[in-house]
Amino acid sequence: MTSPGGQGGGALSVRGGATSKRMKWAVELSLGNSRSRSDRQSKDGDVMYPVGFSDKPVPDTSVQEADRNLVEKRCWDVALGPLKQIPMNLFIMYMSGNTISIFPIMMVCMMAWRPIQALMSMSATFKLLESSSQQWLQGLVYLVGNLLGSALAIYKCQSMGLLPTHSSDWLAFIEPPQRLEIMGGGMVM
Amino acid sequence: MAWLVVRLAISLSLLYTASAVFEDQVGKFDWREQFVGKVRFALFDTHSQASKKLLVATDKNVFASLNSRTGDLFWRHVDKTGPEGHIDALLMYGQDAVVVVGNGRLLRSWETTVGGLKWEAVLDTGSFQAAALIGVQDFVKYVAVLKKSAISLHDLSSGSQIWVENLPDSDTVQYQTIYSGGNGLVFVLGFVPSSHIVIVEYKIEDGEIMKKKSVEAAWMSSLENSCAVISSGNLLCVDQITQSLYILPLQSAEHTEMRQIHLQTLDLEVASGFQPVLTSTQPNPAQPPLAEFFLQLSPDHHILLQLKDDLIAPLRDFNPSYLAAFATSGEKTVAAVMTPKNETACSINLFSADTGRRHLDTTIIYHMDPNGGKPNRLYVHAFLKKDDSVGYRVMVQTEDLTLTFLQQPGRVVWMREEALADVVTMEMVDLPLTGTQAELEGEFGKKAGKVQHGLLPMVLKRLSSQFILLQAWMAHLWKLFYDARKPRSSVKNEVTIDTLSRDEFNLQKMMVMVTASGKLFGIDSKSGTVLWKQYLEDIQPNSIFKLIVQRTTAHFPHPPQCTLLIKNKDTGLGRLYVFNPIFGKKSHISVPALPRPVLQTLLLPVIDQDYAKVLLLIDDQYKVTAFPSTKNVLQQLQDTASSIFFYLVDSSQGKLSGFRLRMDLSTELIWEVVIPTEVQKIVAVKGKRANEHVHSQGRVMGDRSVLYKYLNPNLLAVITESTDIHQERSFVGIFLIDGVTGRIVHEAVQRKAKGPVHFVHSENWLVYVYWNSKFRRNEFSVLELFEGAELYNSTVFSSLDRPHPPQVLQQSYIFPAPISTLEATLTEKGITSRHLLVGLPSGNILSLPKMFLDPRRPELISEQSREENLIPYAPEMPIRTEWFINYNQTVSRVRGIYTAPSGLESTCLVVVYGLDIYQTRVFPSKQFDVLKDDYDYVLISSVLFGLFFATMISKRLAEVKLLNRAWR
Repeated sequence: MTSPGGQGGGALSVRGGATSKRMKWAVELSLGNSRSRSDRQSKDGDVMYPVGFSDKPVPDTSVQEADRNLVEKRCWDVALGPLKQIPMNLFIMYMSGNTISIFPIMMVCMMAWRPIQALMSMSATFKLLESSSQQWLQGLVYLVGNLLGSALAIYKCQSMGLLPTHSSDWLAFIEPPQRLEIMGGGMVM
Repeated sequence: MAWLVVRLAISLSLLYTASAVFEDQVGKFDWREQFVGKVRFALFDTHSQASKKLLVATDKNVFASLNSRTGDLFWRHVDKTGPEGHIDALLMYGQDAVVVVGNGRLLRSWETTVGGLKWEAVLDTGSFQAAALIGVQDFVKYVAVLKKSAISLHDLSSGSQIWVENLPDSDTVQYQTIYSGGNGLVFVLGFVPSSHIVIVEYKIEDGEIMKKKSVEAAWMSSLENSCAVISSGNLLCVDQITQSLYILPLQSAEHTEMRQIHLQTLDLEVASGFQPVLTSTQPNPAQPPLAEFFLQLSPDHHILLQLKDDLIAPLRDFNPSYLAAFATSGEKTVAAVMTPKNETACSINLFSADTGRRHLDTTIIYHMDPNGGKPNRLYVHAFLKKDDSVGYRVMVQTEDLTLTFLQQPGRVVWMREEALADVVTMEMVDLPLTGTQAELEGEFGKKAGKVQHGLLPMVLKRLSSQFILLQAWMAHLWKLFYDARKPRSSVKNEVTIDTLSRDEFNLQKMMVMVTASGKLFGIDSKSGTVLWKQYLEDIQPNSIFKLIVQRTTAHFPHPPQCTLLIKNKDTGLGRLYVFNPIFGKKSHISVPALPRPVLQTLLLPVIDQDYAKVLLLIDDQYKVTAFPSTKNVLQQLQDTASSIFFYLVDSSQGKLSGFRLRMDLSTELIWEVVIPTEVQKIVAVKGKRANEHVHSQGRVMGDRSVLYKYLNPNLLAVITESTDIHQERSFVGIFLIDGVTGRIVHEAVQRKAKGPVHFVHSENWLVYVYWNSKFRRNEFSVLELFEGAELYNSTVFSSLDRPHPPQVLQQSYIFPAPISTLEATLTEKGITSRHLLVGLPSGNILSLPKMFLDPRRPELISEQSREENLIPYAPEMPIRTEWFINYNQTVSRVRGIYTAPSGLESTCLVVVYGLDIYQTRVFPSKQFDVLKDDYDYVLISSVLFGLFFATMISKRLAEVKLLNRAWR
């Protein structure tokens, strides 16, 4: 799009790409102006990859003993995450108070939402913990932590008066009673 | 500190409730009509040619000046009600109007241009007989007031009394008339019934009796109407029994007997049973009256006669003629006579008074309203035209108190419906849907229980109605477009009966008003225009009216139906008048005859097959008549008879009795409460309004529990007053009685209290106002009833099954003003908080939040009471001028306030009636369901459009950018 030459070069390279199916390999000899697909990944377009180079990293599949400890530790971190947040939550709860205004509501929402979200994506977490030997214990701890977090949120809602636990919360739904007698009259006219 | 907190709390609570009208809202949704009442005296200001003033004095003790070009009020003075403010006489001379008030108690002179009081003189006691202006040498200087036993003369410019003289033999002689011909003498005419006439002559300067004589007149029964002074001091009387005229020169000494002229000699005859009336005219009080006079021989026969050389000669015979009146302009005196033209019109013609010749081209055609009454008074305003001929305008007053001002050749200049000064009862009826809306509704508006026919016709009908809707919408658009081209001022939304339709929020309704004179009105609540009127003839002056809406506009193909029960107080017999409240037309439904006096009515929620609610009429033998009484209705009544109860309160016997309906429409007495009449008498009983809805069944406490309301729909509030009126022993009693079982739910006695008691009974509360005779102040008291923390039965309410008495809370407050009426606001669903509308004698209507009248207002503030938003108790009730819903549009002599819900939950329609009528809307919890008047539509829509375009543009830009990146 920039210059006619460039456009031509681009077209040439596309043709090259299209024909790559037939040819086993092709070497692009033109330098400078040419923008091939691999060029786009490298920031400066004039670096040439050698033949056989792949820009995808190759995973290191060799497992070592020190890594296993690290994995265990990492898994415990994940499992204890919700529990560790509880003191912080308690502090926020205390600070935000029981008045109903935008900030406490936002905080309560956050507090309630995070454990629920975590519980919803439980399976993903389990997959994460798959590699650990204490997978089930960690899962349980994780679950308990999240349940505790949501219980805390519910408690906060309760203390803020957001839960419909009183009879007054259901007052608006009481239908007026039907009257059984018809009555009327008045002063003698 | 605590005091500070209390004040802070009060002012905070006021912040929430303060709701005044903004300046630009004035007249936007409210209107006021001012009335004067039945005109007793009307005088045109003939002082100058250009004057537009018409002075009227009415039976409502109102003295007012009307603009004779428009019919509007220039000014109005409303005096005390009752005999104390009664206007006895109205005299006018030049710029001054002299009025005698209160049976001769006061003499007042008013400046007529602005209505200012010039002077006021207190007169000696004695019942008033007559007043007259007295002139001396072509100048009117004095006013003479004749009382039963004395005559006094006052200076016209200052009101100072010149002299007062006792009348001779005032215990036997009835003095009734004063006459002065401007010659320095005042004649007082009196008579002894069936014996003789007494003439006393006073000198103007010092009140010295110059002469006193008595003349035989055995036939005399009254001086006032049958006698008149004509032509330089000749007393002329007419007598029906002897069929003669009697004449006597007042000043001559030699006549000791009245000269008798048989009417037969003039070829005249007085209709049998009719008291003939003589009408003379004295254009200038300083000069003797004219020699011409009218003699009315029968209700529709007048004759113009002239006294000439001691002989009476007829000038012109008006047969038939309804009304006749004299009028003077400059030197010319004319007579206007109204004669019937055809069934619906009368013609008024002008005749020269001294010759009886008809003036050419002076006919005014007066079209009588077919729904109105007959004309009964004629007031003529004569003026000189540029060519020196006499022109005139007339004001006609009819039996139904309509004032019509006409000018040649019969153009109605203005009209006033003075019957509206005395509204007795009213109802508001929803307007019908428009033709198009009704067309749609028509699909569903079949008779109850009829089967729909065929699929295809229904589809076709739906299609055709949709097409009509489309047509109407196009027409509406076209009209909008058409109106938009015209200048704003010329587009005027004239409300007529044909264009009436319900608006979006049902804010515009039809006000059906019943007046004491027996005239019914249908008034558009938005503009105050009288849309229909109907005069019911032969209504006794003290009849009792009860207006019932039997069918609303909700049942489309059936017209709405109102029933008016009119009960004659003397005979006790009643009759029903059934009409369509939208068009005012009488229905052709057969109405049950009521051979026995009706004691009460009861409107049942039971409907007949035409959706009309059933009205039960209870007669004095406690038999019930149903209206309508079709087979269907009777069947339904038999089914439900065991649950229909009614109560009657007989104030004279102090008895409340409850009845139950039997299958055969007879009744059985089931309870009776007797309140001994020696101690106290029942003054008022009120149940709850049938159309009241209570949204919330309880109140939320500070600890978030519920205090359930005691909502007994059958509860009656009975107010009694003690017969002992000594201020230490008088009391007001309040009984809350269940109307089904007769059980007294609560009883309270307010000691050292006096009536009149005004009260409102609604939801679970009763608010009443009384006079505290110990502390000499008005007090509000509120009673609230609660069931407690548990509902006994939340699904059905039966008075027969109520084992637990309610908890009763009460609190009282000082109200710093007397009140004249009390009513509560009413809304569609009862969600909006309630306000009390208090009519003050000053004419203001105070909208008092019910929140202030709450027996749970704490004396000490606690956390819980703050949670409940309770205002701390303060004994004084504030009156804030911004709570006056009618700002400066005061309503004189408020008699009643009518409230009706509108289609908007926030809005309550209010009509205040008394001498004036005022209509407005109130928003007790502000307009939470409508955008404000000053809502910035331009800003909001421009922001919206701006954002919309910004998104469009940025979306496009983003696309371009993405594409660019894709190319790179």
